[in-house]
Amino acid sequence: MITIKASGPLKSYLNGSSQVDVEAAGLSVFETLKLINIPAEMIALVLINDQPAAKDTILKDHDFVQILAVIGGG
Amino acid sequence: MNGYGGNILRVNLTTGKITREPTPVDLARDFIGGRGFGAYFLYTEVPAHADPLGPENKLIISSGPISGLLVPGAGKCDFTTKSPLTGGYASSSLGGMLTAELKYAGVDSIILEGISPHPVYLFIENEKVELRDASAYWGQGCITVEKALKTQLGEEFQVAVIGPGGENGVSYACINHDYGREAGRGGVGTVMGAKKLKAIAIRGTHSIPVADLDAYRQSGMALFKACKESDGLKPWQTYGTTIVTSWCDEVGALPTRNFSAGSFEKGASLYGPVMREQIVITDKGCFGCPSPCGKYSRMKRYGTYVEGPEYETIGMLGSNVGISDIQDVAQANLLCDDLGIDTISTGGAIGWAMECFEKGILTLEDTGGLELRFGNVDATLKLIGMIARREGLGAILSQGVKKASQVIGKGSEKFAIHVKGMEQSAYATHNATAMLLAYMTSDVGAHHNRSWAITYDLQVGRDQVVPEKVARIIWLQNFRPMFDVLGACRLQWVELSIDRELYVPVLAAITGIHRSWQDLEKVGARIWNLTRMFWIREIEGFGRAWDLPSPRFYEEPPVTGVTKGQITRFEDVQRLLDMYYEQRGWDANGIPTPETLANLGLKSIID
Amino acid sequence: MRLYADDTKCCGCRACLVACSLNLFKENNPKKAALLIDARFPEPGEFKIKVCTQCGECAKVCPTGAIRQTDQGTYYVEFSECIMCGACESVCPEGVMFVRDALASSAWKCNLCGDCVAVCGTSALSIAE
Repeated sequence: MITIKASGPLKSYLNGSSQVDVEAAGLSVFETLKLINIPAEMIALVLINDQPAAKDTILKDHDFVQILAVIGGG
Repeated sequence: MNGYGGNILRVNLTTGKITREPTPVDLARDFIGGRGFGAYFLYTEVPAHADPLGPENKLIISSGPISGLLVPGAGKCDFTTKSPLTGGYASSSLGGMLTAELKYAGVDSIILEGISPHPVYLFIENEKVELRDASAYWGQGCITVEKALKTQLGEEFQVAVIGPGGENGVSYACINHDYGREAGRGGVGTVMGAKKLKAIAIRGTHSIPVADLDAYRQSGMALFKACKESDGLKPWQTYGTTIVTSWCDEVGALPTRNFSAGSFEKGASLYGPVMREQIVITDKGCFGCPSPCGKYSRMKRYGTYVEGPEYETIGMLGSNVGISDIQDVAQANLLCDDLGIDTISTGGAIGWAMECFEKGILTLEDTGGLELRFGNVDATLKLIGMIARREGLGAILSQGVKKASQVIGKGSEKFAIHVKGMEQSAYATHNATAMLLAYMTSDVGAHHNRSWAITYDLQVGRDQVVPEKVARIIWLQNFRPMFDVLGACRLQWVELSIDRELYVPVLAAITGIHRSWQDLEKVGARIWNLTRMFWIREIEGFGRAWDLPSPRFYEEPPVTGVTKGQITRFEDVQRLLDMYYEQRGWDANGIPTPETLANLGLKSIID
Repeated sequence: MRLYADDTKCCGCRACLVACSLNLFKENNPKKAALLIDARFPEPGEFKIKVCTQCGECAKVCPTGAIRQTDQGTYYVEFSECIMCGACESVCPEGVMFVRDALASSAWKCNLCGDCVAVCGTSALSIAE
């Protein structure tokens, strides 16, 4: 089980929730985002266990993933 | 007047006469402060067709009613003038500590007029205002002079300074403060240099009065609390604007090799986490900022330090010139800062020159022996110095890509990436129609900060040309610059997703005047139209043609990267403008109608 | 209880100084704050914070007893009793005892109100035992 925590503006994609658990071990971040219907291109930053990670990183069981939306830019 | 410094300082550099007069109440009511004051003084006091580098142009420096108070990001200062780069309206926003000090010294705006017969700096300590000899500092870099003045006068003095770039008349010279914050764009530093004003040093010890102290403190604290509770706070503090570097690369917005593409095959070595690990030593914030975007860096390779680089500089002096090592970008950033030239325009100019060289339009003889190929770090660093000193090719580049391409010709005009003569900042817009429109219609030229809308493009469909996109851009243009009017930073609202309604009670408690965001956006629209009328007045034949983007964005689909093969159609560029003018209440040539001007209370000013 | 400062987290924003002067004097004037931010730029490029450690050395030398303690033991200045002799300033090991007649007619120091902690976005400041 992998926990995904989404920043504020992304809650609308998760029915108002800021956190969701998914069975995504072995999937990439890209694929996992597809699974939970969040467009990858809305995500500025991905942290896996508090470390920044690329979206093609393969997730492992018990990973804690934080995703931050691109918001307003400069 | 509650919330204000209270006085307009007028400094005539020709005669040496200095006056200090109370800030007019109706000016504060109708234009509020910051860039609102700048726009008003620019339009009403600078005579039509004034030479931007001549004595009739004015440089107006303004803080806003929020500046220096207990509000997150209360640290922004506006610099407004007639631009030597574009010939139109220039307004550039500076962070750091300066704006707060203006307020403590009892000042809302400084209006700089005339030209000094010899180099001077402006000394302000509360009511004591003097022009002092600066010949010892003329010719020196910004970092050195700021340090020298703070050492001599005291660390409590806040110092803003120009470098050799401004002294030598580089059209996009900037004003440096707090060792690396810039009023960067449009040549505000050029005007300061033309006036022979090397620096401004301010110290103030007055308190800023507010209308309702308890309500102000309570609502200010509520804003700090909202910022601290935001999910976005920690990532933003860690990476600042570099948080978007990887994302821009992924969506094809990272300007690459003079905007010929939107993603850079070597971009990964420029990303935020890489930068943090390799060079960042301190987070550095502007006045009152709980979410410091500033990253102070140490470049071991060069043995130097710089504030930055932030995203714009990474785009323009990194991927846009083919450079992939963040230490090299940081060093380029430092040279620009110390010499006092805008990193964005410099990166745009060098990127253009590199494309000219790669195409054989510029030769080794033209470049003084520099192999001006994309990715050549040594050539880039040398060329920055040549631009600041206006030497050789640097002299041509120092006037901006529009004029440079007119001088060089041979088809190079087609890839001079600018709007209205200002080099485009770091978002590639081959296929992002809202952002393209943002650049086309920004009030100072191709600058992104009025209406950043790329995520909106992605949400709605990047190639969509629909009224909603236009409405979005207009709303952002009326709304976002209001932070510059209030004298505060917009990035707390932009990046931390705090509720903008939290600003309403604190603004009311400060000024004693209740203003909703609808009220503020109306002032935003007023200022927008006033500065549009300034362009129309100053430039013969100004209209629709000046709102067109670089042909690269409707003729040259990228051949590499994420947006390979994608381009905007020229008919869509025209359609965007049609819809924009209609929604703005302008005619088909982009001129505000008399009715629109009357509705915004501008009739008496324009007539 | 006392204030603690983690220099490595300070970004130099000075929000703490505004909050402090507002609490001590009901004024927006960071020059009348009771903590110090020392900005060391361009090199080495860091911020140092000086805060009151509640050591009590100031109170020991105060001739009028203007520097006294709350019931919780926090040292503060009773403004009306201060004669601006400056003895406290010379003994403060942190340099956060302020005697500035151009700015106020009393010495001032930290009263542990906690407003600086509330506005510090980087959590550089905290209050603990």
